[in-house]
Amino acid sequence: MRLNFVENGPALLVEHDRRVLVIADLHIGIESGLERHGVHITSRSTARTDRALACIEETEPDLLLLLGDVKHNVPVTSRQEYRELPGILEAFRDRVPLHVAPGNHDGGIGRFLEPGELLPPGGALIDGVGYLHGHTHPDPRLFGHLIILGHHHPVVSLIDSVGCAARARPAYLYSGLAASCLPEETPPESRSRLLFVPAFNEFAGGIDVGRLWGSGLGPLSRCIDEKTAEVFLADGTYVGSPATLCPGDRG
Amino acid sequence: MAHTSAPLPRSAPETAADLLDPRVREVARRRGFAELSEAQEQAIPLLLEGRNLILVAPTGTGKTESAAFPVFDRLLRVAGPGFKALYITPLRSLNRDILARMQWWCRELGLSVGVRHGDTPQNERRKQSLSPPDLLITTPETLQALFMGRRLREHLKNVRYVIVDEIHELADSKRGAQLAVALERLAAYAGEFQRIGLSATVGNPDEIGRFLCGARPFALVEVSVASHLDISVRFAGEDFAAQTRAVDRCLDAPGSTLVFVNTRVTAEALGHQIFPRGDVEVHHGSLSRDVRVDAEERFRNGEIRTLIATSSMELGIDIGHIEHVVQFSSPRQVSRLVQRVGRAGHRLDAVSRGTILATGFDDLLESLVIARRAKANECEQIVPPSGAADVLANQVAAIAVEYGEIEVSRVREIVERSSVFAGCGPLLDAVCRQMAEHRLIRLDGSRIIRTGRARRYLIENLSMIHDERKMEIFDIVSRRTVGTLDESFVVGWMHTGAVFITKGQLWRVLEIGDGQVTVEPATRAKGEVPSWEGEQIPVPFAVAREVGALRRTREFDRYSSDPGAIRYAEEMLARMDQGNFPVASDRLITLENADEGVVCNVCGGHKANEALARGLSVLLSARYGTTVGIEVGAYRFLLRLPENVRALEVQETIAGLEPAHLPGVLKLVLKRTALFKWKLVQVAKKFGAIDADADYERFSIHRLISLFDETVIADEAYRELFSDYMDVDAA
Repeated sequence: MRLNFVENGPALLVEHDRRVLVIADLHIGIESGLERHGVHITSRSTARTDRALACIEETEPDLLLLLGDVKHNVPVTSRQEYRELPGILEAFRDRVPLHVAPGNHDGGIGRFLEPGELLPPGGALIDGVGYLHGHTHPDPRLFGHLIILGHHHPVVSLIDSVGCAARARPAYLYSGLAASCLPEETPPESRSRLLFVPAFNEFAGGIDVGRLWGSGLGPLSRCIDEKTAEVFLADGTYVGSPATLCPGDRG
Repeated sequence: MAHTSAPLPRSAPETAADLLDPRVREVARRRGFAELSEAQEQAIPLLLEGRNLILVAPTGTGKTESAAFPVFDRLLRVAGPGFKALYITPLRSLNRDILARMQWWCRELGLSVGVRHGDTPQNERRKQSLSPPDLLITTPETLQALFMGRRLREHLKNVRYVIVDEIHELADSKRGAQLAVALERLAAYAGEFQRIGLSATVGNPDEIGRFLCGARPFALVEVSVASHLDISVRFAGEDFAAQTRAVDRCLDAPGSTLVFVNTRVTAEALGHQIFPRGDVEVHHGSLSRDVRVDAEERFRNGEIRTLIATSSMELGIDIGHIEHVVQFSSPRQVSRLVQRVGRAGHRLDAVSRGTILATGFDDLLESLVIARRAKANECEQIVPPSGAADVLANQVAAIAVEYGEIEVSRVREIVERSSVFAGCGPLLDAVCRQMAEHRLIRLDGSRIIRTGRARRYLIENLSMIHDERKMEIFDIVSRRTVGTLDESFVVGWMHTGAVFITKGQLWRVLEIGDGQVTVEPATRAKGEVPSWEGEQIPVPFAVAREVGALRRTREFDRYSSDPGAIRYAEEMLARMDQGNFPVASDRLITLENADEGVVCNVCGGHKANEALARGLSVLLSARYGTTVGIEVGAYRFLLRLPENVRALEVQETIAGLEPAHLPGVLKLVLKRTALFKWKLVQVAKKFGAIDADADYERFSIHRLISLFDETVIADEAYRELFSDYMDVDAA
């Protein structure tokens, strides 16, 4: 199985028997959320969609997996989302089959989807890889595999001896599962791993990879095995473990 | 109230006073104005002719009355509804003195007067709305608000006289640009009116006239203060104890003394040392209003003889007779010295006495230079901001709300009459487009239409002054918050690696985050330039250059007759010469290797050095692959570099730097700084992109900020930073 990092996404192509393009946390409709918080900008959904379509073209997947929080506003779906979502999803469907792992912002997303597109809230196993948004407990069948999740919006900042050179860039966190998290019946040789993928939406705030473990966000964050954790940039560059990246943050 | 007077020769057929209405003359006499001051003699006839006028004079020369008398005169003869005269002053808490005086005058003459500013109580506002006074005393911000009320706006229809006091404080700021547009809006609505500007001494008074009147003609009356200045410079010692003793000695002289210091910290420290004298008080912005008023009162009636003050004392407040002004440490700018020393004297003797106590070598030379320039009347020039896009946005929104719907061409007509927006056509188009993006206005072909949001935006953005936020100082070693700093101080003066002093301790900046500065305790090492919290006054290029020239020529006797000062300066330079160290001057830049990097000794002043340092930092960073930290002072700056990059490499980089490339380089480097982000957010707020109380920390603000790239918002942020923080041309 191969992982291909699409930098200007950020998006992830998972290649095994099938080619699955993973895009997490689109947060369409975020502009109306921003408006409520006092920031007034016009919708960037078109540019965002175009960016996603470019990822599709570049990777030629068999399946587009939207890993949750496709839309943004809860509990009420905003007018912006009603206006924009159908066209966006249609544009995706035109090019490639579509699945959605529902996220905590996706209340009511079903009305925008066609039958068979919506995955169960506990996640799904596709082509030997587990996928779920990350705000819920995973279906036990996902253990023993690589589990890819969104929801956490991991970011990393690169700091050198004189200051911060790159702030809060989208990042991937890859680790084993802490033993305490594994269900009892899991065989010891199974290889449960976690891969937290960054948010596609450029405005969604993020959690620094070094603080992910203690964040309490989502049930799987505390399952990160710090000894084996690795951080990658959006283009797949390996930059180290969370501990080395954030030395001042221990404790 | 004291005033200077130059009695006219007996043979003069008519004094200015004779031109005034007898009622005004009578009340003036009762107030103690037996004779008019020089300023008044010159100004009053011109004003009575109805001409626009700029009056440049130091505090205490009867500036306000010069403007007021002719206006009172006219007000007595004219009748009608609404406001007839506006007196606009930039002070946020209106000058109590001027208020009281104006109220007294109006009462005596039978004119009605009202005051309206941020703190005016509701019942008072209503009264003004129902029964508008002849004269309204207000602030630039409140003037904006007047346009927003239907009834209040109508009351503006008969305004015939506008006096802008302390106009030098406004002319080079965005507040001033906003006011300039407001005056054009007023003229468009009410018809032309007489414009009167009262200013302290500046290097280019004509510019003030253009700022106030646009292309309209104006007269200029300048009362020179330079010939009345007696300034001496003394060296007070290198350590605080010696400096305190020097202040003590100055205070032994008879009469009352005003001691000016540059920061609140210094005011407190000095006050603490001198307090045992028993007749000393401290006055600065961090103290409560009651405490300050109390100090002013006690000084005025002689209970205390000395006030130690920061610039909070500079503006117009009358505290009675001052014998002597002491400036502790260089005042940094000539106009500040002139304004401060100008407060002394003003009774029988026309001479203002001031002493500068220099606190170090650089400080001494700087003080000598500034003293010379003050006596030669070479004050700094006022540079009004030209094409400030956020002010334009603010006013376009205001005009849209005022008119409901209006053609862009009409807006341009109004706005272009002000000098700060002359020829702004293309900018206006860009601004309108950006505003429409943020739904602050709607664009319909060639028309601007107001939106529902606009009123709320205006109420929150009456002022161009930005609300100061506090940032927490987080000590990474003790893992505690050890204090707070003003956000503007942090973003303006800190860089990672910078060392600063707050609450008496030294700290080094590790990171500037959103709302928080992460630091560690620092020990003072050679070559570091610690920043003081408080009023950061940049040393101008011209002053720094002259200091450099003085270091080279060593003509100290041209600048001072004080033997102690000359001896100290010569000794310092002699030591440099003995060690064969070249001294940086106006013609020579020296680079020194230090532990943390390279110190560049450049006599360029803060803004030019800031530009140069930042430019070099990005070039060195690109060439050697490491981020470069900087700390900037007026006569040197430090580049924090790894071991392999030394003075030689810096020299090469300087040699290879094309002057024409510098602006582009600086834009690149600014983009990632906390300073730029902060400024961008401020400008964006004025465009309606971000509400004043927006909770934007929840979203990734730096991503949002990248949205403003290439827009008129970013352009304006760069423009302002280039003009306020960095002097690219000089660099």
